[in-house]
Amino acid sequence: MPEVTYLEAIRQGIWEEMERDPAVFCIGEDIGIYGGAFKVTEGFVHRFGPERVIDTPIAESAIVGAAFGASLTGMRPVAEFQFMDFIGCAFNQIVNMVAKAHFRWGAPAPLVLRGPSGGGVHGGPFHSQNPEAYFVHTPGLKVVCPATAYDAKGLIKSAIRDNNPVVFFEHKFLYRRIKEDIPTGDFTVPLGKARIAREGKHVSVITYAAMVHTALEAAEKLAKEGIELEVIDLRTLLPLDRQAIADTVKKTNRVIILHEDVRTGGIAGEVVAIINEEAFDYLDAPIVRITSKDTPVPFSPPLEEWFLPNAGDVVREAKRLVSY
Amino acid sequence: MAKKPAPKPSRSGATGLQNPTNPQQRTYSIPDWRAERPDFRIEQVRGPGSPDDAGVASAGVGEGESVRYVVHGDLSAPAPPVRESKYLTREQHIELYRWMLLNRRMETALENLYKQGKVVGGVYIGLGQEACSCASAMALRKDEWLGPMIRNQGAMLVKGFSARDIMMQYMAKAGSPTFGKDASSHFGDIHERHVVSPISTLGDLIPVLTGVALGARLQGRNIAVMTWIGDGGQSTGVTYEGLNFAAVQKLGLVLFVENNIWAYSTPTDQQFLCKDLAERAIAYGIPGLIVDGTDACQVYDAAHEACERARRGEGPTLIEAKMMRMKGHAIHDAAQYVPRPLFDYWTRRDPIARFENYLVNVKKWLTADDNAKLIADVERQLEEDREFAVNSPMPDAASTPLETWCDGCHEIKLTYDVPRYPNEHKDAALKKHEAAVHLK
Repeated sequence: MPEVTYLEAIRQGIWEEMERDPAVFCIGEDIGIYGGAFKVTEGFVHRFGPERVIDTPIAESAIVGAAFGASLTGMRPVAEFQFMDFIGCAFNQIVNMVAKAHFRWGAPAPLVLRGPSGGGVHGGPFHSQNPEAYFVHTPGLKVVCPATAYDAKGLIKSAIRDNNPVVFFEHKFLYRRIKEDIPTGDFTVPLGKARIAREGKHVSVITYAAMVHTALEAAEKLAKEGIELEVIDLRTLLPLDRQAIADTVKKTNRVIILHEDVRTGGIAGEVVAIINEEAFDYLDAPIVRITSKDTPVPFSPPLEEWFLPNAGDVVREAKRLVSY
Repeated sequence: MAKKPAPKPSRSGATGLQNPTNPQQRTYSIPDWRAERPDFRIEQVRGPGSPDDAGVASAGVGEGESVRYVVHGDLSAPAPPVRESKYLTREQHIELYRWMLLNRRMETALENLYKQGKVVGGVYIGLGQEACSCASAMALRKDEWLGPMIRNQGAMLVKGFSARDIMMQYMAKAGSPTFGKDASSHFGDIHERHVVSPISTLGDLIPVLTGVALGARLQGRNIAVMTWIGDGGQSTGVTYEGLNFAAVQKLGLVLFVENNIWAYSTPTDQQFLCKDLAERAIAYGIPGLIVDGTDACQVYDAAHEACERARRGEGPTLIEAKMMRMKGHAIHDAAQYVPRPLFDYWTRRDPIARFENYLVNVKKWLTADDNAKLIADVERQLEEDREFAVNSPMPDAASTPLETWCDGCHEIKLTYDVPRYPNEHKDAALKKHEAAVHLK
């Protein structure tokens, strides 16, 4: 099987969906001749033409609004945000126009709103955010955060085929840093289902996106000391896989929830609430949250290091939980 | 002396003329079809009198000092004649008149329902704006789309919704187009009537209707799409983003800027500095036009020409229709802040009274008897709709579709045709690359 990067996997996924279904088209800033700021759509305009890979003015509200309008005529737009930090510029269109359309007036919105999110690349406050919580909080949307190349391809395909608006967060730190063997040919990964990234028995780490790899790094270190971490990759944040969350708690009885998003209002709180509802009696220790600090993402590398969670945090907390 | 090069054709639809005395400048003109050019100004002043005593600056009745609006300008002229339509057939004139009557009478019925305590929430009345809602919508073809604003209920009737649909929306009934999930004009229909539901924030329909035209074009069709925005609503950023996108992509958006002077309680003099909103068209590079929004013939002709431009693939048009909102923002708002002389001026310009006079007395296409019959027929239909709506049940959560996701309940259907892409290059393969990127 060919080895591809996380970014290549997304490229393949969108390309294959465009070949498969003429209703799929791309719209966003600099996605045509330039191929996108991260080159996700490199080559697309040559294959599919500028009518189908549309470069827009700098107008996120217009990008989302126009994508929604096109979807009303049966098209399946894939709209790119150059950085997901800019999704705030389209917030009203997403939350009020698009997310509520099916509920209010029976207009499903088969849009994919995708772009790079996340830090660890010295991008500073406006090129490093994890805005997923705003959208997990919005009924009517689906929110996806793949952590592997395989999942990135399978999930982008499912997102494109889904009749609902999917906000698809591609972690930019992972774009070129992870490479996997993935199968050729058509395959999809279902939305709404978590995955067991690593089986374990002593402590569960429930996480997503780049932090999955941080958790796995911690797991390697802990294994040397006889502590077996179970790592659950949520993959989809809305809808959350309640069953997978409950199952892992019932198995290990000690839980860390790890995400790169800030602490307050981050979805770790939502997961804690779900555990409380589904598996309270199985807990042998309080649930631990490991998150970024409650600040904007700082720019200078030592400050960003202070801000972000790391494998050392996970090791420390896991040991503490094991001896609670 | 070297010969001056021939001027390059402007790609902008807002064709500017080079100033012959100063070649660095271009001048533009915006056509204005109105028979009159009233020049008035609304000012906030502090003066003697109560806040409800809006009037001309010389009024000084009552005690105390209050801040209120006064209007300056000559508002004495009588209503001008209706401009003869270049496009409407005789039958279409009468059809248009009927739609306007239905629009007006339906809203009267809604007001009555409200007073009887049968409406949930507020009622939004488009009194004085019926020509702008109905005449414009009539210019669209059946397979073209519109997105109404709160006061464009007449357009929804033209597009095939019934008065009972709208009444049930206001009464929050189970049988409303949204099953009671949303109010007023917040509904639509993708497949049959091609109406896009508005939301409460303003300007958001503009990029959406633009996107509808984009979707149609990808399916091989240049269509006209239509929406409206108020003098207040056009202040939003999304208005700019949407219209600019339509302009640069040459998508066939027919945008009616309904300048009805009042955005809730805020008059145009506090909303923008331009003399006429149609001037904004120049900045987008599209044609702009001013019409009398209370003259149904002007509105129709403007809509028709703009729709034809759209169908030829020439892009959007901005039409500013001048009128006044004759009631408050919503039924609770008595609009006492409106200076009385302004109200009287626009009362004389009631679009239905003007059109009725035109059909009965000027063109003599309707006898007094025909007119009475037509009105009676509208009333009869409304009474039927009212009875039905009033007697229909309220929703019950257990039997209302309340899912937020469509997981197979709808088929996503292409409206026009399988998309065709003339510039596809089927032999191009997906290649790996290592080009420079934004952040490593």
